[in-house]
Amino acid sequence: MKLRTLALVATLLAGQPALAHHSFATFDLARDLTLVGTIKEVQFTSPHVWLQVLVPNARRGQTEWSIEAGAPGMLLRTGWKSTTLKAGDRVTIVTHPARSGAPSGSLVRVTLADGRVFGPGGPPSPQPSRH
Amino acid sequence: MSPGRGSILRRRKTKRLKVLRRLLLRCVSIVCALTAMACGSSVTSSKTPSIPDIWGVWMGLGGVTDADPRFRNVPFPAPQFTEWGAVESRRLASPITPGECNPWSPVMFMNGGGLFPIQILKGPNVIVIHHEAVTQPRRIYMDGRAHPAPDDLLPSFLGDSIGRWEGDTLVIDTIGTNGRARPINGYVAGAVTSGVDTAPRLPASDQLHVTERIRLAGGGQYLENEITVDDPKTYLKPWTVKRYWQRRPDIDLQEYACTDNSRRDAEGQEP
Repeated sequence: MKLRTLALVATLLAGQPALAHHSFATFDLARDLTLVGTIKEVQFTSPHVWLQVLVPNARRGQTEWSIEAGAPGMLLRTGWKSTTLKAGDRVTIVTHPARSGAPSGSLVRVTLADGRVFGPGGPPSPQPSRH
Repeated sequence: MSPGRGSILRRRKTKRLKVLRRLLLRCVSIVCALTAMACGSSVTSSKTPSIPDIWGVWMGLGGVTDADPRFRNVPFPAPQFTEWGAVESRRLASPITPGECNPWSPVMFMNGGGLFPIQILKGPNVIVIHHEAVTQPRRIYMDGRAHPAPDDLLPSFLGDSIGRWEGDTLVIDTIGTNGRARPINGYVAGAVTSGVDTAPRLPASDQLHVTERIRLAGGGQYLENEITVDDPKTYLKPWTVKRYWQRRPDIDLQEYACTDNSRRDAEGQEP
């Protein structure tokens, strides 16, 4: 399972699909930012799934980040369940942050405390060709 | 022996014979009917090939790097724009996505992207195609009707579609689009892979005329759609692409309520 997830992440990193719901150009797709924090809320909704994450900041407080993933169906087809993450879970998130500097970004991958890795949703692996 | 009793026996015998004769005739007529049906059906099947099994759920193979290379979807070609088409293409290249929850154009609906499945269903006089991320289905009328007269057309995102079988190929003809759907290659185009948002957008105007030729491929495990885009308002000449899907009975379409949680602010989009 873990190998499959890693393979999926590798696939996504190698070449994400050229068609999605809308432009992600407001996020800096060339930049990876790593956040370590705690899940506050999971919005497993259309059109996109959002993770609300509390991340310690330099002011000894916490900043709430909004991290955007793909559509619910895309996530289900790539190993997620709506219950994979829940409030209180410790996570490490790699994100393409907003160009504006706002605490939001698009999900690259999230690593759970048990080591499982999930991507932002993408094409499911095709079935082996029979011909 | 009274003459009366003999007469009754003769009448009974005659009646039995009549019943037997009726039974025999009925049997013969049933056999004839069955034979005729059998003959009729064999004649029909030799003239009309059976409709191919295009029904069910199909997953597009756009962006799927490990798909069978024969059926891998490649980026759309860069067609030659008219003056209007070039301006419209540049306008749509904005990172701000207008009307993100509107239905798509019929071409983008059939783009074969790897993110969302489609589902093809058969009704009495119509073929219905669902797309997981589009809240309106395509309705392809199969009862031999023509497109409505121009005055009777109601311009729509998906247009007016009529279809017919040409042998094993479903041919769909679509006009009547409203010109307000998102670009044919989407609002992302090559941005996710390239990191830059510079690929030319392919608009679909209100002059769009689409011809699709859909057939099974790869032993029935793949669906091929040869799409010809004739949009004289946008492109100098018609252009054709092929799109592929893989048959996926293991996948169900999920609900997609696009306006449910559209967080435009958090995306840096205009509200």
